[in-house]
Amino acid sequence: MGKVKMKRKSTRIDMTAMSDVTVLLLTFFMLTSTFLQKEPATVVTPSSVSEIKVPMTNVSTILVSPEGNVFVGVTGEADMTIADGKWATDSIRRTIFVNAINNYERLTNKTIPMSAFEKQQATEQFAKMNMFGVPFERIPEFFRLKSEDQENWLAGKGLGKGALVNVKPSDVGIPFTDIRYQDEEGNVNTTNEFQIWMRAIYNSGNDNLQNAMRKGEGIAVKADHSTRYDVVHSVLDNLQTIKYNRFTVMTALKTNED
Amino acid sequence: MAEIQQKESGGKKKKGAQKKMDIHVDFTPMVDMNMLLISFFMLCTTMIKSQTLNITLPSNDKNLEQKDLSKAAESEAVTLILSSDYDDKGTVTDNTIYYFFGKPFMEDADGDGLLDTPEDPSLGVLHAEKFVGDAGGVQQGIRSILHKRNEVVLEKIDSLKKEWRRPGSEMSDAEFEAKAKAIRNDSTISRPVVVIKATPEASWESIISTLDEMQINQITRYQINTINDVDSTLILDYIKKQQSQR
Repeated sequence: MGKVKMKRKSTRIDMTAMSDVTVLLLTFFMLTSTFLQKEPATVVTPSSVSEIKVPMTNVSTILVSPEGNVFVGVTGEADMTIADGKWATDSIRRTIFVNAINNYERLTNKTIPMSAFEKQQATEQFAKMNMFGVPFERIPEFFRLKSEDQENWLAGKGLGKGALVNVKPSDVGIPFTDIRYQDEEGNVNTTNEFQIWMRAIYNSGNDNLQNAMRKGEGIAVKADHSTRYDVVHSVLDNLQTIKYNRFTVMTALKTNED
Repeated sequence: MAEIQQKESGGKKKKGAQKKMDIHVDFTPMVDMNMLLISFFMLCTTMIKSQTLNITLPSNDKNLEQKDLSKAAESEAVTLILSSDYDDKGTVTDNTIYYFFGKPFMEDADGDGLLDTPEDPSLGVLHAEKFVGDAGGVQQGIRSILHKRNEVVLEKIDSLKKEWRRPGSEMSDAEFEAKAKAIRNDSTISRPVVVIKATPEASWESIISTLDEMQINQITRYQINTINDVDSTLILDYIKKQQSQR
């Protein structure tokens, strides 16, 4: 009795074509992507009919969180053609950080208690931060923390276990409290930490960013659609005071129907 | 992964003939990895870049007052006052936009605590509107009000647009833009001067929408200003009148 032998068919599928497709898709996504920038607060921008795109380079962003905290940051290189990296994002940020601290110390006659080494470490960390918003007085404590705790601080959440720093709600975001100082001629003027930051960004020593800020393309205000006007107004008012009265506002695209 | 199969070719083997090799490479792990990478890139990218809106505010210098705007004819002035309502979670439920033309009418001769209606009710009386947009190609809400105020300019731009879109038209895009700009800034046409005032509780969304309406209605003369006590009196009076009507 001969057994009927079933012929075994191979179940192997040729994956070559599939692989071709996936590689193509992958290339497409890799080429078109711009990475999401990490921001301390989730902001849904209001929609507008304006069709001007946000520039990729030379922008300083002012982020107003729905809770009313204000953050500043610089995105994009000032000039990519300068090969030695003098105007690269991280080197601009280093200059801004050092300038801002120096100006704050000069105007308030206070010293931020940081050793030279700590300052250098903080500058390096700041250079990698997309958005920053902590009062000057808390800067030493902020940069001693681990990066997760720094993120939690900016997001207004409690710090992780074992953190000895106490973060009050007023320590999140850049404060707008008046700072009185005397200029060279002895006149008493007022400024605030936000103005110090904006001036430091403007004077970070690269012409392209400075030009863009003067034309108004270089300052982008990003606020949530449900943020109250008095919160945004304090930002706009301060920008007007330091004569950056041309700026852009970030919006999402609105279709013509609505 | 990759395997080489040698085919059995029976007994009839020729001497010196090369063995036929069948090469299979299994691409499944490669596809797996690619899929993972694709999903990573899809999740981490922003395909739509956000848009921006250019704003120019007057300088905060107190000695530099905006003279040309205060000089504007009363009939051309439009004041918009924005206000918003929120629910308990802080999300916007409603945006209201109060408006009046010309100077506010602030007289209360009969002493009933409510402001009187002036002889010419088209000027100085506060009304309220909403952002509605268009319905079936017809402007609704605040858009229709602003549209009416800037009708001459809009009509001229519309006819210019028709001319530009006409088949066989020789007008270039740049030419159209230049001509439209000339119409928008033509001082011989009566164009509105809009003063946008926002109450502290107005939402950011409502301000952007108002600026949008300016763009949609081709209004070039507008400014953002702070609210004063006259404006709040008007709003309170409006609300009181609404309540007494019910």
